[in-house]
Amino acid sequence: MSDETLVEVQDLKIHFFTDEGVVRAVDGVNLTVQRGKTLSLVGESGCGKSVACRALLHIVHPPGRIVSGKILYHRRLDNGLSETVDIADMDPKGREIRDIRGKEIAMIFQEPMTSLSPMYTVGSQIMENILLHTNMSKKEARALTIELLAKVGIPKPERLVDEYPFRLSGGMRQRAMIAMALSGRPNLLIADEPTTALDVTTQANILDLMLELQKQYDMALLFITHDLGVVAEIADEVAVMYLGRIVEKADVDTIFNAPMHPYTQALLRSIPKIAMKREELDPIKGMVPSPYRRPGGCPFHPRCTKALPECSTIVPAITKLNENHLVECLLYEDLATRKAMERPS
Amino acid sequence: MWKYLARRFTYMVFTVWVITVISFVLIQLPPGDFVTNIVSRMISSGGRELTPEYEAQLRALYGLDQPVYVQYYKWLRNIVLRGEFGWSFEYRRDAVEIITERMPMTASISFFSFLFVWIVALPIGIYSAVRQYSIGDYVFTFLGFIGLAVPSFLLALIFLYISQRFFGQAMIGLFSLEYADKPWSWAKVVDFLKHLWIPAIMIGLGGTAGLIRTMRANLLDELNKPYVETARSKGLPEFKLLLKYPVRHALNPFVSTIGWMLPSLVAGEVIVAIVLNLPTSGPVLYRALQQQDMYVAAGFILLLSVLTVIGTFISDVLLAILDPRIRLQ
Ligand SMILES: Nc1ncnc2c1ncn2[C@@H]1O[C@H](COP(=O)(O)OP(=O)(O)O)[C@@H](O)[C@H]1O
Ligand code: SF4
Ligand SMILES: [Mg+2]
Repeated sequence: MSDETLVEVQDLKIHFFTDEGVVRAVDGVNLTVQRGKTLSLVGESGCGKSVACRALLHIVHPPGRIVSGKILYHRRLDNGLSETVDIADMDPKGREIRDIRGKEIAMIFQEPMTSLSPMYTVGSQIMENILLHTNMSKKEARALTIELLAKVGIPKPERLVDEYPFRLSGGMRQRAMIAMALSGRPNLLIADEPTTALDVTTQANILDLMLELQKQYDMALLFITHDLGVVAEIADEVAVMYLGRIVEKADVDTIFNAPMHPYTQALLRSIPKIAMKREELDPIKGMVPSPYRRPGGCPFHPRCTKALPECSTIVPAITKLNENHLVECLLYEDLATRKAMERPS
Repeated sequence: MWKYLARRFTYMVFTVWVITVISFVLIQLPPGDFVTNIVSRMISSGGRELTPEYEAQLRALYGLDQPVYVQYYKWLRNIVLRGEFGWSFEYRRDAVEIITERMPMTASISFFSFLFVWIVALPIGIYSAVRQYSIGDYVFTFLGFIGLAVPSFLLALIFLYISQRFFGQAMIGLFSLEYADKPWSWAKVVDFLKHLWIPAIMIGLGGTAGLIRTMRANLLDELNKPYVETARSKGLPEFKLLLKYPVRHALNPFVSTIGWMLPSLVAGEVIVAIVLNLPTSGPVLYRALQQQDMYVAAGFILLLSVLTVIGTFISDVLLAILDPRIRLQ
């Protein structure tokens, strides 16, 4: 771990204990977020992205539970030293995690229509975050709110501060959400598909805004999306997720130019923009399996075009292709030693 | 908002008018009238039969020989112009006197029942939703269903038995003996309140169970909404968050039902009041309907429906105050 590491997720497992059985929504995830950098988490819908990123604020809701793993948060102290806390270990209702939420780590969500309560004005919902984490008076908090609304590009912020969310467009609401997230001056901003519900033009504007603010505030960004097109624009590093596991992790150029995992390759072939430059548009065959019936061996094997006979029985381990490039696929493992290892058990 | 309230107000006036028509017609619907009633009572008590001429005279005296719409018109005109609700054949007094004697009691009991229902049901509903499937949730669900299943008159009878058996006196009525015929005084008010809670709880109990279920269901719907997650991600303490966001949202549908609780409370009151011998409007209304004492019955129904409709209007106003989506439409 370097001094620039902000959050390290280690072997995180989050399971949902439902009546029908246990859903292993996140099943051994490792991630590292660097200060000021953007890590993008990509994968098809249902692969566990939202659940994983909520764990960073410890807001996984029942019947889900963090069953094991660490979420190490490295905090820089005023005296120049730093301390490390384990978020996964905190009481989800306790003071310690509540002081992190909205202040050190902030989050914006996918649904700008429903993420703000229609009962309170936009301004009061932003001020709430400020009043919670600072000693400001209401008047100061209101002034800061107006300033933030202006900063995220909301016209006439003095008027809009007293407006109710349902009177704003989706794009404006998402801007307000961003203003709320910024109000605590977080070190990490988690954005869970923040542009998915918006039209294309608004989507581009919001992305530009987020990139600009990230520089201004020097904050790290954990950007969750199922859209690789967005990843290309925003990410420094990319983690590709499939059925609760990170199957490939590399810097953004490597992911786009030299993807190694068959799932990443298939994802890239399925995006119109990028596929045009390469082969024909080629959607990934098959469906995401039911969360209650995870395939044995490599979870991707029923849909993989390159699957080996061993793929249905042996679970791939992490292979380090180089310092920055990790992949979980048997194609890159020494199968002879793997088999030798499996045999005794 | 003013447009909304104006529309609601128009509905309100219209509804009251429709209710007056319907209730007046309904009261006249059973065969016979008050005169037939007198006749059959006299016969059954061994009296002489009245001559048809005398019956006709009686009918003419009370205006019962006129067509329904004429009777209705006169009735409504007297209420609007003179505040007169007609004559009670049964009590031989102005119907309005009987009504004004009884209505305040009914209003107080209903109000306290209503308070009881809300004060008990809302916290339990919230608890049951937040701790869904906990032991407490199951216990309250079980008790709630019992409350729903046991009719209030049975509760009243059980209560009568217990008070007679263990306290040596049946706690019936709304006043102790020494105050029953005295004029109102501070001591009488206190005595009244002391008696009031018993019927108030009995009448409210059935409604409590229903309200607990509704509150639980409403809140469960809200608990996982994205705005709750947003609030939580700000670091709000859990209890404050609960009250400020999901509970606040879950309450709105209730506010709009306040007005409609009155009829069901009054309906529940009739039976409890008969069993406990309470001087409220329920028993009188019940008897007036039986005896075809039409102006008393019509007057009660009119007043109760006016109260209900006003209650509904008030809840509409409250809803507009509480929910900006309605206020700003
Ligand atoms: N409340 C829940 N109950 C049961 N399973 C859940 C619940 N929430 C999420 N999951 C499971 O977690 C998996 C991952 O969900 P999610 O993180 O929302 O996916 P993504 O954000 O990648 O689309 C889903 O496949 C689902 O089966
Ligand atoms: S392990 Fe086998 S099935 Fe899984 S991705 Fe690699 S080749 Fe495909
Ligand atoms: Mg998601």
